[in-house]
Amino acid sequence: MFEQPYLLIVVSSLAIGLVAGFVMHRSDFCVTASFRDMFLFRDFFLMRQMVLLIAVSMVLFEFGRLVGIITIHPFPLLGAPTLVNAIGGFVFGIGMVLAGGCVCGSLFKFGAGSAASLLAVGGMIAGSTFYAEIHPQWAAFAKATVLVDKRVTLAQWLELPPTILLLPLATALGFWLWREFRAGRMVRPAFAASHLAPWRAAVVLALLGFASYVLVGMPLGITTTYSKLGLAIESLFAPEHVGSLAYASTMPLNYTPPFTDRTISGGPGPQLDAIAALQYPLILGIVGGALFSALHLGEFRLQWRLPPRQFASALAGGILLGLAARMAPACNVWHLWGGVPILAMQSLLFVAGLVPGTWVGARLLTRFVVR
Amino acid sequence: MPMAQTIDLDIRGQICPSCLLLTLKELNRHAAAIRGGGTEIVVTTDDRQATATIPSTADRMGFRTEVSRLDGGYRIRIFGTG
Repeated sequence: MFEQPYLLIVVSSLAIGLVAGFVMHRSDFCVTASFRDMFLFRDFFLMRQMVLLIAVSMVLFEFGRLVGIITIHPFPLLGAPTLVNAIGGFVFGIGMVLAGGCVCGSLFKFGAGSAASLLAVGGMIAGSTFYAEIHPQWAAFAKATVLVDKRVTLAQWLELPPTILLLPLATALGFWLWREFRAGRMVRPAFAASHLAPWRAAVVLALLGFASYVLVGMPLGITTTYSKLGLAIESLFAPEHVGSLAYASTMPLNYTPPFTDRTISGGPGPQLDAIAALQYPLILGIVGGALFSALHLGEFRLQWRLPPRQFASALAGGILLGLAARMAPACNVWHLWGGVPILAMQSLLFVAGLVPGTWVGARLLTRFVVR
Repeated sequence: MPMAQTIDLDIRGQICPSCLLLTLKELNRHAAAIRGGGTEIVVTTDDRQATATIPSTADRMGFRTEVSRLDGGYRIRIFGTG
């Protein structure tokens, strides 16, 4: 249908990113806060919104698969579960609390003028780039700790049709969420200008993930591009070194997107490829959508006045996030909004590591950063 | 009634969740004085989320709040019922 598959990918990713950035800014939809606030304040409000997002995505993805508009299941880049998924999730949890936002949250906060988030994004690029130095050893460790070979989802492992697992789970989550709505625990008063209720944002973000899956063949993903960008910058100064890195020449993405019969591929190297077409527009869109929202409300201000401890925390958290997102591999948005709804075992392990990591991060934050 | 003491907290630009953590610290430190009606805390922030989390937390602790818009941010006033 499309002669040039990149056109649809770039346009879709940019549009989805713009809407996501706008919606996340208006609702302050923060994945980090949803996990962190459970430990810091015993506040489960945002976690309920996260459960809603996962439940709606679960229904939409399975519906799309059953009616045939989602043709790639499970989606590309997911692999067999290994111990590194949980280790990566654990380090990611620490990093996102110290950075004050995850790979996605930091982008929309940077778009709204947060210098700390800009520093965190810089740290993520540095951490992702450093990963290339340890990739051969880490990849060997990942391969040696594979838990279930050649199986991606729980349904594949149990040799069951996905619907058999997803239908009762989605029904149970739906019933629980309905009770939470009825009890008034899904909404709370908010006084920010043009505030969007987080539950509405959760539904919109689930719809955006679904649109991404239908149009480009996979849900939202960002972090491979942090490596790509970092290695592109590094190659300006040390092209021979970058050329010698095994990680830079890997091409983990190799698939035929929807609406085309052409196979495309991409990897973390500095070249412009399928990963660049998918993720650069998404990143630009998220930053641009949040920037537009903040400017429209007259709330954009570049804030540099920060305690030095917080600058250090944002940078260190960003480096950990970037490194962890490559170790895991992939970030919380990829796993929570994409992998968990199809019960990908990698994503379930990532979340199993993310929760204790967030607890450690919260302890470090209150002890050393915000005092 | 004019306040005898206003504690100003300017938390603009700081990483999340400094707003709520630092506000809670001051609330706990001055709880009795705020409840007595002679002291208030005024938080200046550019964190949109704080306009939801601080009032709901302060409300649970028995304080009253007022949120108003500033140029590029928000002011949250926390005071007692006394």
